[in-house]
Amino acid sequence: MRILLVEDDAATAADIARALGGAGHLVSHVADGRQGLMEAIGGGFEVLVVDRMLPGLDGLGLIRALRAAGIATPALMLTARGSLNDRVEGLDAGADDYLPKPFALPELLARVHALGRRPAVMAPEATVLRVAELEMDLLRRTVTRAGQRIELQPREWRLLEYLMRHAGRVVTRSMLLEGVWDIHFDPRTSVVETHVSRLRAKLGEPDLIQTLRGAGYTIRPPDA
Amino acid sequence: MNALRRWAGTTGFRVTLLHLALTLLGTALLAGIGYWATSRFAVRQIAAEIERDVGVLLNAARIGGVPSLALSIEARIAADRSGTQFFLLAGADGGRIAGNLASAPHQAGWASIEVDTAREDSVMLAFGTALPANHFLLVGRDLAPVRALEAQLLGAAGWVGGAAILLALGGGLLVGRGVARRAASMERALALVEEGRMETRLTARPGGDEFDRLARRVNATLDRLQLTMAALRQVSDDIAHDLRTPLTRLRRRLESMEGAEEAVAECDRILDIFAALLRIAEVESGARRAAFAPVALDEVCATVAELYAPAAMERGQILVAQIDHGQTIQGDRELLTQMLANLVENAIRHGRADGTVRLALEDRAITVADDGPGIPAEARDLVFRRFHRLDASRTTPGTGLGLALVAAVAALHGLRITLEDAGPGLRVRLAW
Repeated sequence: MRILLVEDDAATAADIARALGGAGHLVSHVADGRQGLMEAIGGGFEVLVVDRMLPGLDGLGLIRALRAAGIATPALMLTARGSLNDRVEGLDAGADDYLPKPFALPELLARVHALGRRPAVMAPEATVLRVAELEMDLLRRTVTRAGQRIELQPREWRLLEYLMRHAGRVVTRSMLLEGVWDIHFDPRTSVVETHVSRLRAKLGEPDLIQTLRGAGYTIRPPDA
Repeated sequence: MNALRRWAGTTGFRVTLLHLALTLLGTALLAGIGYWATSRFAVRQIAAEIERDVGVLLNAARIGGVPSLALSIEARIAADRSGTQFFLLAGADGGRIAGNLASAPHQAGWASIEVDTAREDSVMLAFGTALPANHFLLVGRDLAPVRALEAQLLGAAGWVGGAAILLALGGGLLVGRGVARRAASMERALALVEEGRMETRLTARPGGDEFDRLARRVNATLDRLQLTMAALRQVSDDIAHDLRTPLTRLRRRLESMEGAEEAVAECDRILDIFAALLRIAEVESGARRAAFAPVALDEVCATVAELYAPAAMERGQILVAQIDHGQTIQGDRELLTQMLANLVENAIRHGRADGTVRLALEDRAITVADDGPGIPAEARDLVFRRFHRLDASRTTPGTGLGLALVAAVAALHGLRITLEDAGPGLRVRLAW
């Protein structure tokens, strides 16, 4: 993907650019808000990564101006302030996701991937999600594996749906907490892990949900 | 009824009452003095007329003797159309020689004597004079006109008093309402500030009265407070930016090094503490109040219970949730969720392995209980302080800020927090 990174802290920008580049993306970096806006309007980017505090024009202003101009490129906002209002303000301004600093690089990568163009079969309007022989029918609300019906609790359903909508990509602990439970803080207890392992047990062998150490989870066919 | 009771507690009401009392006192004093002076003057006038009559009659007696006196008296009685003049001339035997009074006590000097006329309780003022040869002359005037005047005065005083009461009440209400309205508008504005809307200001007309001057003072104080809060916020931002950014870089460096896992974990711990401190400061600033909305507590409790049930099970514990439905408070859903999550996490961490953790939403209270060692009564106040950790839990992970955040969120929402003995274990109760 072509990614525009707008970040004024040189060291952080270098780390992010290296990580995104390492994952095979093409990264353009600018350090100034105004310049970032020009670049973003110039177009051709699939994802924007924008720091909130920027010289020239701050991140909120940048995204607001972009949205006002009718440009809908998915944007991830970074911020050093972990304040509660900041997330709401960021999303209100038109950002699609929000990541407070400090963050682990795998978290950033996972969120950038989640924002990138979705494969056609995973479009939001799809009514059946499939991974290998696991099938999730969103209309009939049934889950089957190789024809065998699997009964899920409502929350397990949402957890599986979230994983399958991001099939083949990494989803992190905090993405699951936000997407499945609408929780925006970091529990000290390993709650997500226990929920995932229970879901895993219900889905049976061979394991479709893989744990990526230090990054998160991904659901994909065992041979892929 | 409530509005009336509230009105009775206002300055306006007290001012009205005082105004009314003073007006009444003034009116009563004025009316009393007027009454007394007028009535005295009228009586004196009558006394002067009697003295004049007596003088004239004595003159007639001196010149013509008793017959002349009797003739004068009869002539006077005949000329008196109003029937207010009374005379009696008595002989040595006490019998009446002339006059229109049947009898009277033979007493010299001034006296008030009841008159036997058609009118009831009529009293006359009379002057008795002893004449030579044991004769006696009494001249009297009916006081009824004076009584009528007095009655008229009283009636007038009543009207004036009534009007004064109405005027005082009206004026008091008007003044009181103005004062009350100004005070209420100030109160409303300050309530907004209390809710965290720091940009709110009181209305102060240029020039203006003491209320405007007070409003300007309050506004200046709010300006200062807002500046201070902005400065505090700036410091927080600086801490956030200038300390966390290099720490994050350090963490990233360490991450890429072999065998530095412990150092990375230590970095994470420091970053966690920063995040928790900043969050507590944010909660305590009250700024979140501006975003308060109705929060369905049953949903919050259910989410937290559902989230932590498997984690409790990992420790062999059972998380029992007993949730009454339909309870809503004004608040911040995210903070309330985090508060409850912290409490449940604590209960799981400090509860007995294979024990039970209970989360209950009852009538106007949430309780979280474990069956672990509990907290001794004397240590219970300390646990809400920042970085305070009981000796027993020094070895378990945690920042020591979890309960400080719980206390801050509870205070923000006006929840009373108490620690109870669950016998065995600790029960935290949040009530509103």
